[in-house]
Amino acid sequence: MSAIDWLSALLLVVGAAFFFAGTLGLLRFPDVYSRLHALAKADNLGLGCVLLGLALRADSLAVAMKLLLIWPLVLTASAGVGFAIARRAQTLGIRPWRQGDAP
Amino acid sequence: MTTLALAIALFLLANLVVALVAAARGPTSADRMLMALLFGTTGTGILALLAAAGAGAAAVDVALVLALLAAIGGIAFAKRAWRARHHVSD
Amino acid sequence: MTLGLAFDLLLACALLWSAWRTLSTPRLDRAIILFIAFGLLMTIAWIRLSAPDIALAEAAIGAGLTGALLLDAYGALRQRKRRRKAS
Repeated sequence: MSAIDWLSALLLVVGAAFFFAGTLGLLRFPDVYSRLHALAKADNLGLGCVLLGLALRADSLAVAMKLLLIWPLVLTASAGVGFAIARRAQTLGIRPWRQGDAP
Repeated sequence: MTTLALAIALFLLANLVVALVAAARGPTSADRMLMALLFGTTGTGILALLAAAGAGAAAVDVALVLALLAAIGGIAFAKRAWRARHHVSD
Repeated sequence: MTLGLAFDLLLACALLWSAWRTLSTPRLDRAIILFIAFGLLMTIAWIRLSAPDIALAEAAIGAGLTGALLLDAYGALRQRKRRRKAS
């Protein structure tokens, strides 16, 4: 295996680890805001690592560019959705969790 | 290398199933909507990995469409469907 | 090929489970979210069956537009019910 293959494999594994962290945060964090934070950041970073790792070993330049195009799209989409959900939660009067509250 | 891509796709699918089971019995509807967002991101990753694991370049197009349209559900939920009554416990 | 078999088995179990939960859940909002999840799993299943064109249609219609339309209809239903209760 060449250096590029090793780098791609490393990026794939790191991306999977970030996905795992995002799922763990979604299951364990106490309120909507912190869950949204775990989901919107960790998962998108994981997706970025996976897509970069796949683009490194793509057959042609066009496929690699298409893979790398997905990432900014997902970033803008999840930023918009995260903002909409957090603002709606605030409008509905859901309080952020503080230390000492029941989880 | 194909084996590695398939193994990571399997790992992500296991993540997805755990989140699905946990969120289907979750307390508030916001949690379930966040689960749907997780499905959008992770599903895009799974489709891209499957494209590398032998499904061909057309799977990348499907991943692109999924990445674009998963956001629409979240926006529709936040703007139209989420009303106050369910969230007294939150 | 045993990894692929494990992937397919897990996918089939998740598909059947989410389909059953979608039909058997009494609450409408839960059923809609589960339907969106079902659409996504179905997309992955079509890709595994090497039918990317059907997967494209399923991703666009099943997971994206139908989910948004159902959520919108659910919000409208609840608003109408509340208005009727208020008057």
